[in-house]
Amino acid sequence: MPPTGIETSRMNRKKGDKGFESPRPYKLTHQVVCINNINFQRKSVVGFVELTIFPTVANLNRIKLNSKQCRIYRVRINDLEAAFIYNDPTLEVCHSESKQRNLNYFSNAYAAAVSAVDPDAGNGELCIKVPSELWKHVDGKTPELKVLKIHINFSLDQPKGGLHFVVPSVEGSMAERGAHVFSCGYQNSTRFWFPCVDSYSELCTWKLEFTVDAAMVAVSNGDLVETVYTHDMRKKTFHYMLTIPTAASNISLAIGPFEILVDPYMHEVTHFCLPQLLPLLKHTTSYLHEVFEFYEEILTCRYPYSCFKTVFIDEAYVEVAAYASMSIFSTNLLHSAMIIDETPLTRRCLAQSLAQQFFGCFISRMSWSDEWVLKGISGYIYGLWMKKTFGVNEYRHWIKEELDKIVAYELKTGGVLLHPIFGGGKEKDNPASHLHFSIKHPHTLSWEYYTMFQCKAHLVMRLIENRISMEFMLQVFNKLLSLASTASSQKFQSHMWSQMLVSTYGFLKSISNVSGKDIQPLIKQWVDQSGVVKFYGSFAFNRKRNVLELEIKQDYTSPGTQKYVGPLKVTVQELDGSFNHTLQIEENSLKHDIPCHSKSRRNKKKKIPLMNGEEVDMDLSAMDADSPLLWIRIDPDMSVLRKVEFEQADFMWQYELRYERDVVAQQESILALEKFPTPASRLALTDILEQEQCFYRVRMAACFCLAKIANSMVSTWTGPPAMKSLFTRMFCCKTCPNIVKTNNFMSFQSYFLQKTMPVAMALLRDVHNLCPKEVLTFILDLIKYNDNRKNKFSDNYYRAEMIDALANSVTPAVSVNNEVRTLDNLNPDVRLILEEITRFLNMEKLLPSYRHTITVSCLRAIRVLQKNGHVPSDSSLFKSYAEYGHFVDIRIAALEAVVDYTRVDRSYEELQWLLNMIQTDPVPYVRHKILNMLTKNPPFTKNMESPLCNEALVDQLWKLMNSGTAHDWRLRCGAVDLYFTLFGLSRPSCLPLPELGLVLNLKEKKAVLNPTIIPETGAGTQESASNAGCHAQLAGFQNPFSSSQDEEEVDMDTVHDSQAFISHHLNMLERPSTPGLSKYRPSSSRSSLMPQHSLGCDIIPPTKPQWSMELSRKGIGKEQPLEMGVHSMVAAPLSVFAKESTSSRHSEHHHHHHHEHKKKKKKHKHKHKHKHKHDSKDKDKEPFAFSSPASGRSVRSPSLSD
Amino acid sequence: MRSFSARRGTCGPALRHLPTPNYKSHRAPRSRAIRQSKMADAAAGPGGSGTRPGSKQSTNPADNYHLARRRTLQVVVSSLLTEAGFESAEKASVETLTEMLQSYISEIGRSAKSYCEHTARTQPTLSDIVVTLVEMGFNVDTLPAYAKRSQRMVITAPPVTNQPVTPKALTAGQNRPHPPHIPSHFPEFPDPHTYIKTPTYREPVSDYQVLREKAASQRRDVERALTRFMAKTGETQSLFKDDVSTFPLIAARPFTIPYLTALLPSELEIQQMEETDSSEQDEQTDTENIALHISTVGSPFLLLHSTPETAYPTLGPCPCELNCP
Repeated sequence: MPPTGIETSRMNRKKGDKGFESPRPYKLTHQVVCINNINFQRKSVVGFVELTIFPTVANLNRIKLNSKQCRIYRVRINDLEAAFIYNDPTLEVCHSESKQRNLNYFSNAYAAAVSAVDPDAGNGELCIKVPSELWKHVDGKTPELKVLKIHINFSLDQPKGGLHFVVPSVEGSMAERGAHVFSCGYQNSTRFWFPCVDSYSELCTWKLEFTVDAAMVAVSNGDLVETVYTHDMRKKTFHYMLTIPTAASNISLAIGPFEILVDPYMHEVTHFCLPQLLPLLKHTTSYLHEVFEFYEEILTCRYPYSCFKTVFIDEAYVEVAAYASMSIFSTNLLHSAMIIDETPLTRRCLAQSLAQQFFGCFISRMSWSDEWVLKGISGYIYGLWMKKTFGVNEYRHWIKEELDKIVAYELKTGGVLLHPIFGGGKEKDNPASHLHFSIKHPHTLSWEYYTMFQCKAHLVMRLIENRISMEFMLQVFNKLLSLASTASSQKFQSHMWSQMLVSTYGFLKSISNVSGKDIQPLIKQWVDQSGVVKFYGSFAFNRKRNVLELEIKQDYTSPGTQKYVGPLKVTVQELDGSFNHTLQIEENSLKHDIPCHSKSRRNKKKKIPLMNGEEVDMDLSAMDADSPLLWIRIDPDMSVLRKVEFEQADFMWQYELRYERDVVAQQESILALEKFPTPASRLALTDILEQEQCFYRVRMAACFCLAKIANSMVSTWTGPPAMKSLFTRMFCCKTCPNIVKTNNFMSFQSYFLQKTMPVAMALLRDVHNLCPKEVLTFILDLIKYNDNRKNKFSDNYYRAEMIDALANSVTPAVSVNNEVRTLDNLNPDVRLILEEITRFLNMEKLLPSYRHTITVSCLRAIRVLQKNGHVPSDSSLFKSYAEYGHFVDIRIAALEAVVDYTRVDRSYEELQWLLNMIQTDPVPYVRHKILNMLTKNPPFTKNMESPLCNEALVDQLWKLMNSGTAHDWRLRCGAVDLYFTLFGLSRPSCLPLPELGLVLNLKEKKAVLNPTIIPETGAGTQESASNAGCHAQLAGFQNPFSSSQDEEEVDMDTVHDSQAFISHHLNMLERPSTPGLSKYRPSSSRSSLMPQHSLGCDIIPPTKPQWSMELSRKGIGKEQPLEMGVHSMVAAPLSVFAKESTSSRHSEHHHHHHHEHKKKKKKHKHKHKHKHKHDSKDKDKEPFAFSSPASGRSVRSPSLSD
Repeated sequence: MRSFSARRGTCGPALRHLPTPNYKSHRAPRSRAIRQSKMADAAAGPGGSGTRPGSKQSTNPADNYHLARRRTLQVVVSSLLTEAGFESAEKASVETLTEMLQSYISEIGRSAKSYCEHTARTQPTLSDIVVTLVEMGFNVDTLPAYAKRSQRMVITAPPVTNQPVTPKALTAGQNRPHPPHIPSHFPEFPDPHTYIKTPTYREPVSDYQVLREKAASQRRDVERALTRFMAKTGETQSLFKDDVSTFPLIAARPFTIPYLTALLPSELEIQQMEETDSSEQDEQTDTENIALHISTVGSPFLLLHSTPETAYPTLGPCPCELNCP
């Protein structure tokens, strides 16, 4: 049955093409994943996959799949052994002999490497040759397009990415220890744990089988069909079926001794958590059904999968990861009923993951450039849920927050492009040339950029909603979903499945069909173009004409900005009411005349109508007697992605703060009032603080603003410190005002205020720029009298904020001649603070608080004391808290302190310690976070002179991003970010000028002596430590000249080729017997390899051309002995040759010619003669050439193994 | 006290009869004279319970009492000796005889008590004494005649000279009178304040401020003491290189499963939670029950697992077996 109607043309997708055209010459319909052995001790996985594909071309002779890290044992197609090669250019982006150190070069090479294996371009790391029997037919017959079943046996040993093992080192069986494993990764990362077509656009049905220890539970996608014990009753096999076509990238797995909770409200939903946490799980998930109901209701569509599973695991890669019918959460989201602060956050995570179930998992995307639609829709419906759950205020506040974030990011970096279009593949029209990475692929994207990308996507969806109304918006979503669910039920019509993929074009078409509105300008402005709008507004009131003369300027020349043309809403609150005006922002019109409705009439007592219909009394004495204007707002609905800087008088801001009911306006006016430190501002803020109807976040913002204002007016300030009497009135006992009431957090609003006010108060400063003694005593009293015995809720966050308040009160120490900080000269106030911190930190050891919030705050406070010179600056305390085994929040707080220490003290040792942790820490999130924090708080930047900036560091970081982080996209991109922050795009200034002659000379001697290897050796050793396992064997034989290279070589080989691995081991084992020989093995040692061959072990040198084996098998038998001879000679220095040859060919392909490669090519020409020959032969034969000709390291030829 | 006084009370009849244990004295001349007297052959133990009279005057009332008793017994022995015709006796002989007499009387008391308790009584009766005497080999029938002998001497009650010499510094309340079974010459009860219990209540502190103050400082002290103790007994870290004791920080120790301590509420919190919302707890258990009820309905994760007999067909040979060394 030829199932697809897709034409077999090569990928040629243009924007505007309606249908989906697969980049592959076949259609995948079904895949079986069977993992029949999971070893927690060794952290290894053994299994097979079976892909059922329908070729869409007549002579399908190559199949490219994605696979990383997996060691592939054999590939069979329809029970015939098939040869395969494995080439992953992303393992090492630029080859080590390259002395290039500029980031531009790296980013291009990295993008090219990712492209070379990009499934969306039909590429893959694993290339399988279809046995000729299956496609060559006897002349005369037309080759049939018949089903191919590709069976791949693979194993995974100590995976560094994709699958994460958590194995606590305690006594007991793995289940008792709470050991678990789960899949993780950034975007499509399924290839890290089984071979597949790792694309969001290749959908198929799934059968998933996992054999695990009987005490364990395997959770995966789809329905659990059956659980079968093995014969010895010691293991169980979980059989899952996923009948809804799903992309491999949405496949996930979690195995562990989970406690199981069936949702009491919906039995299709099952929750899983680690042992002992069941009570928390019960509480945490008790809310989930409401989210379900909400989404199903607004989308008028049932949840697409027949079941849903939530799994809470430790050491999570991200807090929330959504996969088909299953979401993996961080276990740290679990909380008990006593916890206030975490509850909304966790609920938001649950809601977020559920939104992605509909858009992201069920509906997938056609290509990377359509990602924004999925992220946008899921983010948008999540926003609707927020609005319903937390209220309009919270929603608008969130939108404002997200808008500020994206605006700040775009202005900083130069723009986020939602829908990148890549024409012709020319680097010149790179739409994101302002960035230091390519946005062509998700895997080259900086994590921060991706976060902002998601943020922008949902904001743009909201803009579309503004344009076409929410009703139409939901209709569009419903349409997408119903199309997809119709398609998904077509079990045997895989060509229909492309309906489940969303594209920008399809989405926009739906919008225009449903709404009949043209939103093209909007899309052009925000989707096809990067940048935000920056408005500057000011006004004058013309009394004669009774007209408001508004001037709106734009800055569209700074990076990250764009010009806005179109409508802009302005709201003017006058004495007679609030009026909306829509201005048309055009090319050259800056001034806009807005007629006013009311005459100035301050003496008439009359209520003033507000926008929402409310009528209020106002004290109008503050306003300008001549003007009827109370306040003006530009773009009040946030219907443009913009930053507005608007000038109006202080009393207008104060009126806006007091009487405008929109929380966004209130927040904006609070921000503006910081510039007006007057008693009137003080009064307005105090009133807001006291007003209980006011949104709590506004009140919290008012606290900080009030502190700033108080500091600006310190000389004229009267009365007690700001907020003190207010706090006393609200939270202290009536009879004894210095004692705080016993805690009662039933009212969350006052709880948040109670938490925040002392933190803001601690920012107050007196005329000497010190924190007033009164304030410190006040905070210390709050801590002293804190009594939570009668409270229903935990006060851990409250206490943590009190420590934050103490830290905020710290001012720089008065230092005399840089004396050493000792206990004797400790400031008495600081002594009190330190006393509290010590007690809190010690009590945490005995009675730990939820998520160790108090420890986190204490560590931060200690760092503040160190930085202000009260306590000797020292990183050892933080380093001990940063160790693996502490709760992740503590570790991050401690690492943040170490990062800060590294910057302030310019400590090379600490930087090395951090870099080492980036490479070796068991928790991927922590590694990512260190890089992230180093980028945010860098020890130096590109324009700065620093003793830390030296060649060794450059090499180290280069190595880190070049090959050290190949197992984690996010980490690699993080390393790129750091490199960019430290050295910029071009060659780091601390490096000597690249002199080609010198490089060439070095290269000649490289095998014997190459000074540049020395730093790399260090890094290599570190890397080997992290690899443990198989690499441990190698570590003992470190050769001073070749160790780092060998390590890398093995690193690459072990991943995919057991044969090469074995041969390598043999090589390594021989080393000690031939001391003094660095690279080239004498003939005597060669002989020891020979018997291996005669025994039939098909050890194939990594450099061996793969297709030539095929040919030899086909009958050019004479070549074989010759091959062997070449091989055994080559075998010894294989690492050198392998690397050089790949690199040279690699660079050839990517058009990055470097002089140094030329010579090498010549040098090895004779060795590769035959290879080139066959390659060229192959090239002639193949309809399409490999985009990156593999060096053929991995071969398994059936004829040889027999 | 009671048994002691009982013994005392029954001593009367035997007082004038001097039974002498078979006691070999190295003081030969006097021992012969002693042997002339009627001797009981049943020997009591060497009367360990007796208190050795101290040669020096003690101010201790108990010692005084012993001394008085001893003196009374000496008088008794002396009068018996006189009755028996001795004109003088060495002090040592008198002492020995006194010792013997004391042992004998003690033994009578002890045995009588045993007999009385054997019959589940607390107060010995005459028959107890009789049985005791019989058991000790004493011919009871001779006792009345002996008691009515003509030349017997009457001994006066012991002098009350050894009343507590210390003047009462504080007399509080009325001394309790002796119960009927205690002879009036026995010492008086001590002052009531020495044994009467008066439950006292502290004035309740009602001032809120003081209470809070107190609670706060108490908790702080406990916490400080506890953490200091922990810091003293374990490994510490310090913020100051030169001083490790002023602000000792308990050393950070990694956990094997860090999330458990971080997420699970501490016992203190659980306890607190139970105290604060017992009413809501009921509600919760209700929903839990519902949950349990529902959850048994057909979740594949909670179903019984198939056994290998119904095994699922599949799973080719493990590649591990094929390829792993």
